Amino acid sequence: MLWDRFKKGFDAWENTTAGYLEKALKSPTVLGPTGALLSAAMKAKARADRAKTSFWAGLGLPTKRDQERSLHALNQLESRLMDLEERLAEKK
Amino acid sequence: MKGLGTLATIWSRPAPPVGTTPSDVIHHENKWRLLRYRPRAAGIVHETPVLLVPSLINRHYVLDLLPQKSFAAYMVSRGHDVYAIDWGVATDEDRYLTFDDVCDGYLGRATRLVARRSARNQAHVLGYCLGGTLAAIYTSVRPDHVASLLALAAPVRFEDDGMLSAWTRDPRFNVASLTGALGNVPEGLLQVAFKMLRPTLTASKLVHFLDKAWTDESLEGFMALEMWGNDNIPFPGACYQRYVEELYRNDALLAGTFTLSGLPARLENITCPTLAVTFEHDTIVPWPSAAALVDRVTSVDKQRLHLPGTHVGAVVSQKAATTLWPRISAWWAARDAAAGPADDAKATRLASATAR
Repeated sequence: MLWDRFKKGFDAWENTTAGYLEKALKSPTVLGPTGALLSAAMKAKARADRAKTSFWAGLGLPTKRDQERSLHALNQLESRLMDLEERLAEKK
Repeated sequence: MKGLGTLATIWSRPAPPVGTTPSDVIHHENKWRLLRYRPRAAGIVHETPVLLVPSLINRHYVLDLLPQKSFAAYMVSRGHDVYAIDWGVATDEDRYLTFDDVCDGYLGRATRLVARRSARNQAHVLGYCLGGTLAAIYTSVRPDHVASLLALAAPVRFEDDGMLSAWTRDPRFNVASLTGALGNVPEGLLQVAFKMLRPTLTASKLVHFLDKAWTDESLEGFMALEMWGNDNIPFPGACYQRYVEELYRNDALLAGTFTLSGLPARLENITCPTLAVTFEHDTIVPWPSAAALVDRVTSVDKQRLHLPGTHVGAVVSQKAATTLWPRISAWWAARDAAAGPADDAKATRLASATAR
């Protein structure tokens, strides 16, 4: 009985609060600065990464990005080979 | 008192046995795998196999959650030949994976591989959430191997009043700087975003959990769903960028300006039987966003199934096993029956596929 009353009250609170929060989180006054802050933080991280990359590249060493590109190229190559195998199988 | 004891075991319980329906990996490429659920002992009844395409940001096992709550196991038990894509976990080098790589390359290969194992050289494709969007785009460009399209809570109209739409459309959110700095979009960021869709949901789940989790079955179900919900995977960077910039911001799919590998992806090009399943209380994909598919496709055989429930709950709950799942199985069976029997020569392929 007590639990049911609590749950009723809780559900009403939850619905109202969720409604208010949704309005707030969709409002341009919240979204604008949040989006700008996130973008600024990402740009700062990218700048720091670029600085690190040029340091390693200056030493003649492959950077993380170089390795990522190579691995991706290998994966693409594997996919192209599979495409060819598929075409061959179709012709058989 | 017994219920209280059950509840008290939550801390000492082993992780729930998710994704346990027996399956074999029939293809592996980069991180993704194509799984085939082992057919039931009594054999396959329906000629056209089924391909399940989960969302790119979630684990595939939502459709095979627990032994008694498994969509895949249910379909196997109904005599379907069921395949599923497991996208795997994108790692750093996958930041360069494009939308075309995933949709045309990976989904395309999965569809062809599954179709080849059937007598009709076609497969029923079921896409869930973003998986449904991928399936719709793929079908609109390369319809040959798709016997039917079933979009389960799949967003098609991205200009809606949902939270995700509002967030991604804000011009001060620079997607390129996000993917440039992080590569793939980390699962943590995605998870926070999903939790912010309804910040009070955690408290609400806890209260409703106390209401139901007095039995082993309910407790295990709750834990499995929570485990899946917190088990997101990173979104490949280049793919995410196009997804947000073209689909969310320009609503390119509905506008008819989206392309796949340079070819126009127009929903009007979809002519195969199409079923869109939408959920009344879906906060992740508001139902009008998913319902737009049926309005756009030119299939003669198209319908929308609108059900009460939420984005996940309505698909994996015990209620879904008695309402949604049988209707999906019957829908596929009816499309197979309407297509008529495959010719004898091709039927031998079905027999050999069953044996494999």
